[in-house]
Amino acid sequence: MKSCYIHIPFCQTICSYCDFCKQFYHKEKVKDYLLKLKEEILRDYKGEVLDTIYIGGGTPTCLSLKELEILFDILQVFKKSSSCEFTMEANCETLTKEKLICMRNHGVNRLSIGVESVQPKQIKYLERNHSKEDISRGIFLAREVGFQNINVDLIYALSFESMEDLKRDLDFVVSLDVEHISTYSLMIEDHTKLGIQQVKPISDEMDRDMYYFIVDFLKKHGYQHYEISNFAKEGYFSKHNLCYWHNEEYYGFGLGAASYVSHVRSCNTRSPLHYPNKKIEVENLNQSEREEYEVLLNLRLQEGLSLERFKNKYGKDLFDCFAIKKLIEEGWLLEENGFIRIPEKYWYVSNEILVKILQKKIELC
Amino acid sequence: MKQENIRNFCIIAHIDHGKSTLADRILEKTGAIDKRELKDQMLDSMDLERERGITIKLNAVQLSYSYQGEDYQLNLIDTPGHVDFSYEVSRSLAACEGALLVVDAAQGVEAQTLANLYLALDNQLTIIPVVNKIDLPSADPEKVIKELENIGFNREDVVLTSAKTGQGIEELLAKIIEVIPSPKGDVHSPLKALIFDSLFDSYRGVITSIRVVEGEVKVGDVVKMMETGATYDVVGLSINNPKEQEIKTLVAGEVGYLYASIKSISDVHVGDTITLVENPAEDRLPGYKPMKPTVYCGMYPIESNKFEDLREALNKLKLNDSALTFEPETSKALGFGFRCGFLGLLHMEIVEERIEREFGIDLIATSPSVVYEVELNDHTKVLVDNPSKMPKRESINKTYEPYVKCSIFTPSEYIGPLMELCQDKRGTFINIDYIDTERVTINYELPLSEIVYDFFDRLKSCTKGYASFDYDVIGYRASDLVKMDILLNGEIVDALSVIVHKDFAYARGRVVCEKLKEIIPRQLFEVPIQAAIGMHIIARETVKALRKDVLAKCYGGDVTRKKKLLEKQKEGKKRMKQIGSVEVPQEAFLSILSTKE
Repeated sequence: MKSCYIHIPFCQTICSYCDFCKQFYHKEKVKDYLLKLKEEILRDYKGEVLDTIYIGGGTPTCLSLKELEILFDILQVFKKSSSCEFTMEANCETLTKEKLICMRNHGVNRLSIGVESVQPKQIKYLERNHSKEDISRGIFLAREVGFQNINVDLIYALSFESMEDLKRDLDFVVSLDVEHISTYSLMIEDHTKLGIQQVKPISDEMDRDMYYFIVDFLKKHGYQHYEISNFAKEGYFSKHNLCYWHNEEYYGFGLGAASYVSHVRSCNTRSPLHYPNKKIEVENLNQSEREEYEVLLNLRLQEGLSLERFKNKYGKDLFDCFAIKKLIEEGWLLEENGFIRIPEKYWYVSNEILVKILQKKIELC
Repeated sequence: MKQENIRNFCIIAHIDHGKSTLADRILEKTGAIDKRELKDQMLDSMDLERERGITIKLNAVQLSYSYQGEDYQLNLIDTPGHVDFSYEVSRSLAACEGALLVVDAAQGVEAQTLANLYLALDNQLTIIPVVNKIDLPSADPEKVIKELENIGFNREDVVLTSAKTGQGIEELLAKIIEVIPSPKGDVHSPLKALIFDSLFDSYRGVITSIRVVEGEVKVGDVVKMMETGATYDVVGLSINNPKEQEIKTLVAGEVGYLYASIKSISDVHVGDTITLVENPAEDRLPGYKPMKPTVYCGMYPIESNKFEDLREALNKLKLNDSALTFEPETSKALGFGFRCGFLGLLHMEIVEERIEREFGIDLIATSPSVVYEVELNDHTKVLVDNPSKMPKRESINKTYEPYVKCSIFTPSEYIGPLMELCQDKRGTFINIDYIDTERVTINYELPLSEIVYDFFDRLKSCTKGYASFDYDVIGYRASDLVKMDILLNGEIVDALSVIVHKDFAYARGRVVCEKLKEIIPRQLFEVPIQAAIGMHIIARETVKALRKDVLAKCYGGDVTRKKKLLEKQKEGKKRMKQIGSVEVPQEAFLSILSTKE
């Protein structure tokens, strides 16, 4: 166990597309929540040295300076390795120099900033509350305080978005010269404002064209496309996300947080009333299921799935677990240098290939 | 029971005219069951029968009734109403001396009323006309009585009933006893019992429904099937009243069930005669002509390991459905299955449903085909019941297809649309019979293949469901037929090939391609769909390549949800057949059948 996720479910405003576990910021509730979070961490953390910590939300930076101090105080209990990647999500409206200094002082060394878009009509549509200038200012402050590893999130494929809109967003994003960029095609989820309004998604054709445009564009600007939705400069791949994609175990603390501990995948309740005493969707994985996850997750990566790592982890050859030789012959998968991967041209239809692989699972009696 | 006090009769009717309900009421009136026990339509023992409201398998029930101080034994033999089952109707008729011809008081005489009436007359049965459902607000018994007079009945012979309220049932029972003759067989002659039905029971083996025509059969007798020569010890005899009741003997004139630990389904042929090994009868009862199937289709288990189960299911169905034929066939697209022959489309649908429901085997059925006759250049003739057996075009001299004489019974206002429909279907007009001012019978000659295609649906929709129809195969006629293949990604899908009239091939090919385009989901690559006659492509559509199917986000480490999505997607694929490299949903194979032009 080398990774840990901590969820802060508070926001100043609620975005129209967001289906994360969140609620409006409220002083009393934050106080109460931090107490429960502490209780959960003290109860479940077994004292491992952590390689990555990730504080996500919600909007963790919407907490006041004082509340942040309390939060970091709670996190003191974690033992951290010397190279520990410690990420915190932020949005620029709530980011102040004082908060940034506080974060730095407590070991946060990576920022993940929700930019999403800088086109005014798109910002409005997503019901976010920032301007281009807020972003530039936030990143300038972060650099000033000493952050050398910054990610920004970008959302594309809004129903009405044009290629021109996308180009403008991309131009801006690369001008920020950040180390890491995550891009997400807008998903219209039930129980979000967009979902309730039954907004029509953009056509699959356009969505795909935008994706491959982004890929080309960011590669030209020196980013490596190391995972389906993620780009980074050399040396700045997200260690925390790699933990997910390598199917490694991780703690998940906080309301609605997902965890993977001792072969059990589960989620904390999303109900503040029952937190931290209730888990939902508890899935106790047998070896065969773990093998499946191993494949599904690793094949999100550009480098793919390491045959050697698979063998070390499961004591079996990948080809004895999945009858995928034919998929390789047919070109749906590539086998190179001890790795299996999905060719980049198929990444945008990778589910189809993953399903093909699942269908080839060999069950031993 | 004295033979003079036995009456064997059946009920014949057009579908939905209330035959099964009338049977229920007779059961209730004779005290066979009380009202509490009465499930609707007691005689229809299969779920499917009760749901569809049609009687598929016949059923015999023995009733006791006192009339004018005498006790009578009434054997009621239920019959199916639909045209596809006229064969079974004739089977039950052979076990009876009389028939109730039931006509709906609101609907009047219909096509199948007539068809069944003629069958009954051919069997020299005494017929009691019954006007049923007289309780309906729309009932017009006077008009129906006139119709019955027009087809040769006397007004005074007609019994008016309401199976729903029970009105007229006693009068009907009296009529049955007075009018229908008692059976005439000699109890002391060697045994001759007609097998008119059979079914398979997992505990007792094959159970036969028999009508003893001559002699007597007892539990413990050693009997012989005269056609197959198989011999068995009679383990049990029973009657239905309508609960099963064990008895010791059945004598000439009586109807009941016989079982003898018969494990081999092939030993029992419906229509065969049972006699005793000691003192056997000299000759068999006439029995029935075996019916020839008119419609064929391929049936394939969706799970390929269910092939043997499917064989077993077909064998069991065949036991009491001798008109069903089947032989193994292989399809490149669908794997191992059976080519099955049916009496008609409804028969086909019912067999399909019974296999899925009673035996739990999911099926893919190919588009139904009739039996074509092909004359080759060397003047030899071959029968083609499967498009894949169609000889090469160059070797064909002439092709023939079966024609039917079709009688459509309809309110006169629909004459126009119906004639248009028949014209569309390559029909030849014969004449129109006027039953009265509002109702007519339109007679046409039509290719059977056109009826198999979508005739029923179109008939229903152009007459708002008011017309009924009946048909008889009248023989083969020369016709310009071609085999049309469907290609997916350049590969012929054998299961989708059809034989079609040349003039219709283009239109049909286009419709099929369009339909498949709708049904086949986008794949990882572009899939061309083509219709072809020989090397000649006559229609083409394209299923574009899948553009997007990806789990973009991976947020907060919640990957369980993604796995579930993929699992669901994987489940969906189970309903697909892999044809070459293309995944085709099962519905595709039905699409050719259900295509509306």
